[in-house]
Amino acid sequence: MSLMRQVWLLVLGVVLASLIGSVTVSTGSVRQVLQTQLQLKNADNAAALALALSQQGGDAQLMELLISAQFDSGAYQSVLWRQADGKLAFERHAEPRPSEAPAWFIGLMPIVVQPGLAQVSNGWNAIGSVEVRSQSSYAYDELWRSSLRNAALLAVVGLIAGVLALFVLRRIRRPLDSAVKQAQSVVDGSYAMVEVSRVPELRRLTEAMNAMVQRVRGMFEAQSEQLQVLRMQAHADLLTGMSTRKHFLAELDSALTRDEGPAEAGLVLVRLRDLAGLNQRLGRVAVDQVLVTIAHAVKVYPERVNGCLGGRLNGADFALWLPAPDVARETAQALAEALRSSLPAFGSGIQVALGAVDLPRDRPLGAWLGMADTALARAETQPGFTVEAIATRASVDLENQGERAWRVQIVEAIKERRGRLVPYPVLDREGQVLHLECPLQLQLQPQGPYEPAARWLPLAIRSRLTAEVDALAVALALEAIAKDGQARCINIAPGSLLDGGFVARLRELVFQSPPAARRLSLELAEGAAVEHFELLQEMGRQLRPLGVKLGLEHAGAGLAQVERLYQAGLDYVKLDASVVTGISGDAARAAFVRGMLIMLRSLALKVYAEGVADAMDVQAVWDCELDGVTGPWATARRNGPPR
Amino acid sequence: MLFTVRPLPRIRRAFARRVGALAFGALLATAMPAQGLDNDKLMEAAAKLGPRAVAEVPPLLQMIGRAAALDEEARVTLVNNYLNQRIAFREDTEVWGVIDYWATPLEALNKGAGDCEDYAIAKYFSLLSAGMPIAKLRMVYVRASLRGQSLAHMVLAYYAQPGADPLILDNLIPDVRPASQRPDLRPVFSFNSEGLWQGTGIVTQGDPVARLSLWRNLLQKARAEGF
Repeated sequence: MSLMRQVWLLVLGVVLASLIGSVTVSTGSVRQVLQTQLQLKNADNAAALALALSQQGGDAQLMELLISAQFDSGAYQSVLWRQADGKLAFERHAEPRPSEAPAWFIGLMPIVVQPGLAQVSNGWNAIGSVEVRSQSSYAYDELWRSSLRNAALLAVVGLIAGVLALFVLRRIRRPLDSAVKQAQSVVDGSYAMVEVSRVPELRRLTEAMNAMVQRVRGMFEAQSEQLQVLRMQAHADLLTGMSTRKHFLAELDSALTRDEGPAEAGLVLVRLRDLAGLNQRLGRVAVDQVLVTIAHAVKVYPERVNGCLGGRLNGADFALWLPAPDVARETAQALAEALRSSLPAFGSGIQVALGAVDLPRDRPLGAWLGMADTALARAETQPGFTVEAIATRASVDLENQGERAWRVQIVEAIKERRGRLVPYPVLDREGQVLHLECPLQLQLQPQGPYEPAARWLPLAIRSRLTAEVDALAVALALEAIAKDGQARCINIAPGSLLDGGFVARLRELVFQSPPAARRLSLELAEGAAVEHFELLQEMGRQLRPLGVKLGLEHAGAGLAQVERLYQAGLDYVKLDASVVTGISGDAARAAFVRGMLIMLRSLALKVYAEGVADAMDVQAVWDCELDGVTGPWATARRNGPPR
Repeated sequence: MLFTVRPLPRIRRAFARRVGALAFGALLATAMPAQGLDNDKLMEAAAKLGPRAVAEVPPLLQMIGRAAALDEEARVTLVNNYLNQRIAFREDTEVWGVIDYWATPLEALNKGAGDCEDYAIAKYFSLLSAGMPIAKLRMVYVRASLRGQSLAHMVLAYYAQPGADPLILDNLIPDVRPASQRPDLRPVFSFNSEGLWQGTGIVTQGDPVARLSLWRNLLQKARAEGF
């Protein structure tokens, strides 16, 4: 039984006991008073009657008349005159008037009254005695009524006391609940602060808890600072602080190959022309300043737009990937304008060429770089700050069919549950399957092929259908888990979090199959944690108590931006391919991964590596002691490529 | 409030006392516990009242023990004579400082004095202790004519049979005489402790009823003294 319930029961018991006690006591004393009064009445009336009878000179008729008169004018049950030899001389008797008090009450509180007895004489002659018995029903009535009155009054008092107690208990309960909640949240891996209680006993508890949370925060912040340093060493160019070529390409590859993302995107290459000549003319220091200026102009985009990538490809080349269609040219022009106004300050003859391409995201990395190089080469043929752009029309059907038709197809597919989950294993060091990553494929046309998310997800996002899609995927996953007991993980689009009823729907689904729920994981892209932190937290609060695990995928440098990661309440993190690719040959990258691992482990999170293709990298992952690995290598290791 | 007159002649009373003391001394060894009397309680109550009361208890017990062995009429006479000797007539105002006071037998014996109802009370309880049924005894309010004066007075009447001519135990005329031979007394009202005395739990210490009338109050005190 909970503490509060015990206290509440105690209060209730005390109130009830005092109520019953005081009603009993007061009823008892009223009974005593009534009994005494009745007794006195009997005795006194008997004496008075006997006195009157003794003055009648033994005239029986007169005496009977007197007895009748007394009986008729008073509230008597019986008045009788017994002769000296014990024989009944005269009696007046009335049926006892029924009382309004219930029989059980009379049985419980009997009013026992002796009849009044007095001697009657005629001169020296003793002629017997009178016995007077009064009606007692009115006493019961009075006793009953007073008991009811008392009970009602005390019930009101008890009620008030109960309400007051409830109020006070609630006051006590609030800080207690918040302390318990905080403790629970610590267990769940979300380190929340609570308001310090004003109750002295609880204050010390909450203060201690808050201090502990504060310390965890401090540790976390220290670790993430250290991580930042490691990241700079591993991924960043020393001069400009931008991603190195290697890291940029890994990031870009990861962005191009993942399911979610825009159908089309843009890439801008920026080149400081004639680097060698500038070095000679202006000196290294000035040229470095020029490069830093360019880097600053480019960096603005990744810093402000989630999913936007920037990098320094080599000495004079910068790259900017924009996760949006039809913005590459404008961005390149805006960059050119900005550089045109700022660079001449460092010296004359500084020229910058910019090449911009718009391409469907499903084109391979090589195609992107080739096209962008072509555009850049064209720009270099002209002097000054020039921009050249190449736009490739996006995939035909998407354009032709029109959004409306797509939307209908997606909605239909969801309605008819024409979807399937394609399993990709996440393996641990021993090669055991930890869980299956299950991206959803939809059969957009009846009897048509199942199509991967990359084809329909951008449109689903634009049409705000992701919540439906994700709910379908979760439902399918729960069914599959119920069938084979294999743990599965479903990727939730960040957009779904914005749908107000989404989490409630998931809750409902999960409620229907509690055993399966314990083997279900839901994961969101790192960006979701940055942008919709509160919603993510809420989702965890709603679903994790039911056994559902919650994770972040594609986690990389952005993880450091999640300021309150320690409050998120997560179970695991999957490190993005861009972070783990190539760690086997690069000590700095491996160090960064290790740093992340230490930080995440301190929050009691499991850490997996995503998109690992190279066996050497896998070995490096195990060396770093990550918990699991997924990607082409894992898939191939298990059972060849998925169906 | 009752007024009685004419105390016993002083000489006669002193003589009676001396004779009584002798008789008690002789009989002390063969004393029997009186019927319905709690001796221990009586001694305890006497000890509280004073040395005189303590001294009065053994002869009283002797007398009651002796009376219990006699027939009723002789018993009445013995008790009447004994108590008429042991108690001198004095007004309540003198003895107790109040206008009317109903003393228990021990209180009356302790003072060695009392007025008419104190005699009647002492005789009543002594007779009860000697095994007399309550129904045969009545305290009677009477109007006494004494030398042409009317007085409110109280006597104890003994009824050998219901409705019979009672014997009167009085202190004005110390002899026990039938009521028919007492033209000086006119009965007004009689009472006894029937229905009160025998009743269980009615006369208890905390019962407010008990303290309301002189008679009931007295009954309670007498019970406390062991009667």
